[in-house]
Amino acid sequence: MRFEPTELSDAEVALQREVRAFLAEELPRGSFEPGLGMNGAKDPEFSRKLAARGWVGMALPRAYGGGDRSAVERFIVAEELLRWGAPLGHHWVADRQSGPMIHKFGTEAQQRRFLPAICRGELSFSIGMSEPQAGSDLAAVQTRATPVEGGWRVSGTKVWTSGAHYNDWFIVLCRTSDEDDRRDGLSQLLVDLRSDGIEVQPIPFLDGTSHFNQVFLDQVFVPSELLLGRAGAGWQQNASELAYERGGPERWLSTYLVVEQFLRERAGEELDARALELLGTATAQWWGLRQLSLSIARALDGGGAPAVESALVKEMGTRFEQDVLAAVQRLVELEPAAESESLFERLLVAAVLSAPSFTLRGGTNEILRSVAAKGLRT
Amino acid sequence: MSDPVLLQSVERVLEDVCTHESIQAAEQSGWAPEIWQALAGVGLPWLGLDERAGGTGGELGDALEVLRIAGRHALPAPLAETGLLAGWLASGAGLSLGSGPVAPAPVRPDEVLELEGGRLSGRASRVPWARAAERIAALARTGQGWAVALVDPSAATLEPRVNLAGEPRDGLRFDAVEVESWAPAAPGVDPAALQYRGALTRVMLMSGALERMSELTLEYTAERHQFGRPVGRFQAVQQYLVSAAQDAALVGMAGRVAAREAERGPARFEIGAAKLLANRAAHSATRAAHQAHGAMGMTREYPLHHWSRRLWAWRSEYGDELAWSGRLGREVAAAGADALYPTIAGGSAAGSPRDP
Repeated sequence: MRFEPTELSDAEVALQREVRAFLAEELPRGSFEPGLGMNGAKDPEFSRKLAARGWVGMALPRAYGGGDRSAVERFIVAEELLRWGAPLGHHWVADRQSGPMIHKFGTEAQQRRFLPAICRGELSFSIGMSEPQAGSDLAAVQTRATPVEGGWRVSGTKVWTSGAHYNDWFIVLCRTSDEDDRRDGLSQLLVDLRSDGIEVQPIPFLDGTSHFNQVFLDQVFVPSELLLGRAGAGWQQNASELAYERGGPERWLSTYLVVEQFLRERAGEELDARALELLGTATAQWWGLRQLSLSIARALDGGGAPAVESALVKEMGTRFEQDVLAAVQRLVELEPAAESESLFERLLVAAVLSAPSFTLRGGTNEILRSVAAKGLRT
Repeated sequence: MSDPVLLQSVERVLEDVCTHESIQAAEQSGWAPEIWQALAGVGLPWLGLDERAGGTGGELGDALEVLRIAGRHALPAPLAETGLLAGWLASGAGLSLGSGPVAPAPVRPDEVLELEGGRLSGRASRVPWARAAERIAALARTGQGWAVALVDPSAATLEPRVNLAGEPRDGLRFDAVEVESWAPAAPGVDPAALQYRGALTRVMLMSGALERMSELTLEYTAERHQFGRPVGRFQAVQQYLVSAAQDAALVGMAGRVAAREAERGPARFEIGAAKLLANRAAHSATRAAHQAHGAMGMTREYPLHHWSRRLWAWRSEYGDELAWSGRLGREVAAAGADALYPTIAGGSAAGSPRDP
């Protein structure tokens, strides 16, 4: 385990200032309904504007429409969007993981086909990992791709596929052969969500939203040029995708706005000792977690593979997101209503109803702890 | 930031002098002169102090890193006190420290010492290693502002006390005691500045202790077998290993960032936040480490207590959770909602021209 302290260079501070000015101009407070972290709304128009500034797919190479920017620069843009509650839903997955995956494992033709459109903020992606019988145990996926003339026929069921009903593509982890080790014989395919044979069925969530879906694939034809990376190497490629997912600012900012808005709506009031204690403690924790998270981004830029560090931070950050929310709930004597005129109340409602997902999505905390513990032993 | 050769040699010196037995013995006797001699012999107590004031030079950051190593080894000696606290008070005032251990006073923010006509009066409680100190460096109020006075502790009435780790934290009463020397404190040196600096020393010590405690817990749970396998293989136990490692990582990072900022300025936000995180970790990490150790961790024969008791003791020194969360909370509330994230991301520098 290794966390080196780092800080922003003058150029990075300048970028931070630019992003803040852009958000203040584009989305002034009070002009939009902010979302909670990566649950931010989907707004293709906003994503395109952000892309026009060079802030979508920014860490991808210029040759494919990116900006050759660093992981730290991407971190700066992401944290500002998240803490502002910006509508990042359209480009979030493509920017964070699908784009980097396609760059890392894709053919030249795949990169030319997908990356420029991702960097323009146009193409949106979903994640095609989980299945009804394969959650934490991802090697249990049963979706199967059978080779046919010119490509594959894919059948199976994916679940918890966020945005499948409005996104463009998803990367499907599926079995292409049976091997002794279950982790072998898996492959990743780039699948158009509008393909024949795909049926998307929304799963209503407890918070009343329906962003999540079950996706049925019935003999979906995927041309051979859409195999991502090597056939049979899907498990290893996918593991690297998980590393991209972990340790970023989205793992400790999901309930930030609840606290910021609490402070905004209580401006001018005398806060009691309990409120001050909560504010002081939460601020210290955000500061500390951010230092760890930033250190991971810097390590990635230095060619490191901070997998254990990322698991430690995600596990700790997501628990904190829930803890700080519970602390706010204990602080205010309030039955929060979604129809309230108070944005604080509306955010509180949204946070309470989505909080259990924080420690589940992108790898449950139990899995993270076992990844981390294994890493600590070596 | 720090000189790796220096840190390696410090690691070797402390490894030699801080053994399970020597730490126990120091606690029994209340003072271990041979440990002090070993530190003094290589100039460690005066690291980071101006050479003109009898210091051994080096950067503040080096001295703070050395404290982290001292925490790793549960060093039973006034290293933080002599150089970074008493030495800082004395050298700022142009006074020379001498070559023995020196204790800073007062420690608690609610206690004030008064200096009038070269005579010191007042009470200071919880003064680290006062009984062994050659001198006390007192920050005292005068009619013309704050002053630093060096005084012989035998001229004070001493009440022996220890903290939870058995380290001396004595009470001192000065009844118009004639001081050896005194001078006005350096600009900016006041009780609040002493609190912050004291807190920073505790953060570094605690960060080292958390690191070592996490390692010790990993080692123990790899060796200890139950139900035919190492207990560290059980998921329920892994949870504790991860929790202790997270606390060590978080406080280690917070301490190093606070140390970096302290070389540039007062770093009040970073020091307060780091001490608050360290204090909280003192609860969660000791709880995890003890649970993973089972009954073995409760004995004096096994070394876990060197770190767990120190963490419990240091958490209340120079500001507990309530003190620091209240202070940070008031600052955050006063700055308002729009300043909250800039503070989280920018720390003390958030209000500076670099980040308007």
